[in-house]
Amino acid sequence: MIPSDPQQVKQICFDRINIPHVNQLAIAQKNGAYAFLPTVLQEFESAKIIDEMKISGLRGRGGAGFPTGLKWSFVPRNTGKPTYLLCNADEGEPGTFKDRDIMRFDPHLLIEGMVMAGFALNVRDAYIYVRGEFLHEANVMNEAIREAYAANLLGENILGSGYSMHLTVHRGAGAYICGEETALIESLEGKPGRPRFKPPFPAVEGFYRSPTVVNNVETLASVPAILKHGGAWHAAIGVPNNTGCKIFSVSGHVNNPGNYEVPMGTSLKTLIEEYCGGLQHGTVPKVIIPGGSSTPWLMAEHYDVPLTYDAMAKAGSMLGSGAIIIMDETADVVAFSRRLAHFYAHESCGQCTPCREGTGWIERMMGRIEDGQGSEKDLPVLEQAAKHMAGRTICALADGATAPILSLLQHFPEEVRSRITENRL
Amino acid sequence: MTNLFINDQEVEVAPGTSILEACRQNGVDVPYFCYHPELSVAANCRMCLVEVEGWPKPAASCCTPASEGMKIKTQTETLKTDRKMIMEYLLIHHPLDCPVCDQGGDCKLQDYAMEHGASKGRYVEHKRAVVNYELGPFVNTCMTRCIHCTRCVRFADEVAGTGDIGVLNRSDHMSIAGIVEEALESELSGNLPDICPVGALLDKPSLDVSRPWEMSNHKSTCTQCPNGCDISIESRGDEVMRIRPITGSPEPWICDRGRYVYDAFRSDARILEPALRRGGVLETVGWDEAFEEVVLALKDKRVGILCSPDWSVEGHTAIRLMRDSLFPDAKVSYDLHRRDMRAFAFEEGLAMTTTQIESAEQVVVLGSDLRQRLPLLMQRLRKRAYAGKPVSRIGAMNYRTNMDLSSDVIIRPRDWSSVIARAMDQVRDLGKDAAGFDAWLAAVPERHEAGKVLADALISKSCALLVGEEIRSHHDAAALIAGLDLLMRACGHAEVGNDGRNLIPEGMNTQLLSATFGDVRVSAGELFALASAGELDALIVVGSDPLGDGLFPSAAMAALTRVKMVQIGAIAGKIGRHVDVQLPAAAYSEIEGTFVNMEGRIRVASNPLRSLGQERPLWKVMMRLVQVMGADVPVVSLDELRSEVVKRVPEMAGAWDAVEQDKLLLKPARNRNVKFTPSKNKPAFELDVVSRYSMYREGMWARGSELLSKAAELHRLDDLLVHPDTLQAAGLSAGPMVVRSFLGETKCSVGVREDVSPGVLFVAKRGIAGDLSDLDSATLGGES
Repeated sequence: MIPSDPQQVKQICFDRINIPHVNQLAIAQKNGAYAFLPTVLQEFESAKIIDEMKISGLRGRGGAGFPTGLKWSFVPRNTGKPTYLLCNADEGEPGTFKDRDIMRFDPHLLIEGMVMAGFALNVRDAYIYVRGEFLHEANVMNEAIREAYAANLLGENILGSGYSMHLTVHRGAGAYICGEETALIESLEGKPGRPRFKPPFPAVEGFYRSPTVVNNVETLASVPAILKHGGAWHAAIGVPNNTGCKIFSVSGHVNNPGNYEVPMGTSLKTLIEEYCGGLQHGTVPKVIIPGGSSTPWLMAEHYDVPLTYDAMAKAGSMLGSGAIIIMDETADVVAFSRRLAHFYAHESCGQCTPCREGTGWIERMMGRIEDGQGSEKDLPVLEQAAKHMAGRTICALADGATAPILSLLQHFPEEVRSRITENRL
Repeated sequence: MTNLFINDQEVEVAPGTSILEACRQNGVDVPYFCYHPELSVAANCRMCLVEVEGWPKPAASCCTPASEGMKIKTQTETLKTDRKMIMEYLLIHHPLDCPVCDQGGDCKLQDYAMEHGASKGRYVEHKRAVVNYELGPFVNTCMTRCIHCTRCVRFADEVAGTGDIGVLNRSDHMSIAGIVEEALESELSGNLPDICPVGALLDKPSLDVSRPWEMSNHKSTCTQCPNGCDISIESRGDEVMRIRPITGSPEPWICDRGRYVYDAFRSDARILEPALRRGGVLETVGWDEAFEEVVLALKDKRVGILCSPDWSVEGHTAIRLMRDSLFPDAKVSYDLHRRDMRAFAFEEGLAMTTTQIESAEQVVVLGSDLRQRLPLLMQRLRKRAYAGKPVSRIGAMNYRTNMDLSSDVIIRPRDWSSVIARAMDQVRDLGKDAAGFDAWLAAVPERHEAGKVLADALISKSCALLVGEEIRSHHDAAALIAGLDLLMRACGHAEVGNDGRNLIPEGMNTQLLSATFGDVRVSAGELFALASAGELDALIVVGSDPLGDGLFPSAAMAALTRVKMVQIGAIAGKIGRHVDVQLPAAAYSEIEGTFVNMEGRIRVASNPLRSLGQERPLWKVMMRLVQVMGADVPVVSLDELRSEVVKRVPEMAGAWDAVEQDKLLLKPARNRNVKFTPSKNKPAFELDVVSRYSMYREGMWARGSELLSKAAELHRLDDLLVHPDTLQAAGLSAGPMVVRSFLGETKCSVGVREDVSPGVLFVAKRGIAGDLSDLDSATLGGES
């Protein structure tokens, strides 16, 4: 059970995660799932829910960190069109694996959060867009949804409240870009996943050109606790402007990689050393990628950075989805960057010129450099090719693709140079 | 209005205008590839980046709406580098084959590479090559040159409505491809090379024949359909190399028929010299010798005149002057498709402009294969449907439209009167009535449910009727049109300024034809009947091909053997094989002349192309004919001729000096006092015959064009088509059978198609064989 004293709170989304078979409705309900739902449906009003969300200070857990309550308040009412709620479960960012744990272990938490969010936004049809590779997760979700329908926690007239919402799981086809909300919408509409330009924003014209809210799994899973304990309770967890708890997917050269939910503001060093069993080699990391592969790298000097959106931005990177990849001195950063370059070249949707051509160009240059076929002249070209992709495209994939390359060139130019000269011999 | 600053200049634009449009409207140059004013915005080329004060990143100007007080910079150092880099990205995989690419010299990529690109690329990795695909006879593909702007994809989706071009794969494996390896389905496919900013899609017929800088172009008017599009004729010397649409004209596109007809200009079918038939063979002779023969054939004879509606206004007036001077009793026929020559309550021509039709609340298409007949008007309807506005249709066949119709009913032509009567009942129930309803309804015993579609549309605030060939060529057309006129009056659509009564004409200049020939006109069928009955001695055929086109090929054939034929025209057609004298007249690409389209829009062409042989403008041939026949020549110059035009059509005064020609629209004629009611005569046979208009083979020019003939072959249907129920009712199955009609028995092969109305025999081979085109009813039977 989540403590009602904010100072005691250690976990929100992972509160029930270790209870065996909590994916089954009976066990979930025994442990508090849906307990507060009738109160919300019968006693809360839409405006109150959105206010509570605003007060809570919850920021979107998908990567951008946009305040959730504010996002919900942008949805126009009485447009004559339906409003849609889409759950972004396309978790494709290299390094991120938090949403799948919520879905496979505690699916009812997500369903409850979606019903509450749907109620607040007057949604009749909601969808969970699951990454194509998450077959098991999709199966677990579907089973949980079936149980929820049977218990009238979904469907027509939920728990006699007069509110009806239908929830459907849709599996993607494995494209990274479909984690971008407008590409996700296109894909869900049955089209190739290519981001749309904005405006119009999805809140106004999204799924089937209707008002649409797209939220991350973790964001929606935070809703039940916030509504139960109140926005002010949530705002008291963590640090101001970075409230609540956050799941961090830690991977790389740590002894105990995995998902850890901690209150925001915990320092990175604490997370690594106290929760993850420390680094495998030595005590100082060589590279810290704090928010998934698309975020700029941090160096050892930022090892004790607090895990908040603001502190990460101040350190020159982003908290992103909370996917921390940490590498010690054994890491081959050139090979690593090349692998990421390949990933982005493969995943670029191909719409915008700079990204379509630039990602491929970078991949081929990085391949040459890694194979020792590079030359000193490549470095300024590489840097320019990367710099002029970022911020010139419809979506942020190009920015993500260039982050590792620019970080590599900024922090490890000597390693790149030695790769060029060493392998030449 | 929204005020913003572009490079420190304050400008005003309509709210919602994009920054790019704001720049374009104010003459500020912003480079772009993927943007096209007629297509949806894709924002993928990223070439149109501009800087907005206070924004952290450059904005794609095509998809960013201008907002109040915005400060935009289009020329900064950062943008210069950005554009240079975009050019570098684009040129990574683009082949350096400009010297052998037709687009070279007229290529956005080339121009921008010069203007914004670096002189040298830094890409040293492998280049990509892309497999080409087949897009039919008009579009050549070289996909390695593609820069993925997706203009062609959006064109296929939004304008052509066929959606047969798409995007395959992602990242730099992305490629544009046809959905299937076959010809494009669209009648507008020729526009694809025009919208492609690079040499990926090129015009196939003119491939590798000419460089852009060798060609000169001049403005002209297409006469291949009554839409009369503005065209730019591109020629090298006096040889027409290609025809293209003109930016800024009412239609941004042209159809394949109007575009590729040009190869007929140089075909063997052209009449380039005067000729006489001697011993069964046409022999080239001089003008004088030819005219001697003409005088023998026509002097003091009973003469009938058949002319094409596609001549210039001056040409038609010259024909009339010739008739008045030489054959004051002669009847003139200018329409091969009208059986009923009684006055129509609303005569041929559109009362609305195509823009007004596009924005009307309701549009009903009555009996027309609009996509083949008026491809550009069809495109307007598609645009309207794309914007969510309804288009309904009633007709003998589910003609393909490449759009979603809001309602669509198939009926037999004999049902038209009961359809109209059903609509009259419905609007009357809603309190909308007209004085003639009672008499009209009394003449029609049955009601057809399709009338509901018509009535539902009529009761809206504004309704555009597009009355097509199935009604116009009906035996009882005058009564049907009178009925529609009553309906439009009852529902308040027929008042001045709110006229939705549009009768689609067969050819150009219709608004003037009824003024020029209204008092002397007959149907072509009557003319041939007179000839066959021995009441005529000779026919003057001016640019018309009754054997290849229209509804009277058998009647024309019968008449041929009885009378002398003098042909005056630019192209011979099938009739050319039977005429006694041929006189060459210049084609529409070679004359100075005036054309009026179906909307009444006036276009004056002044074509500098020289004639290929001895042909002269039609009016000069006519005047020479008057002279050699010994009468006084009524006009000796184009100016005098034009004042004769104004005598008949006073609205034309000033048309030749007008600066803004689009402001003057000639309205189609109205006959308020007609009171025709449907005839009670039943057709002689059980099936109604409807014949197909194919844009690729209707008219002598189209048949003279090899390119269009090739397309006709691709878009061919079975010669004769019926609904499966029709066959079942007759106890027959598809294949060879006998068609019985007033012409006797004809052995034919009949195909089956669900989209033909039951009870209709659909003649798809009209224009090629034509044998059955004379029919309006027939019956099917097994081979005995």
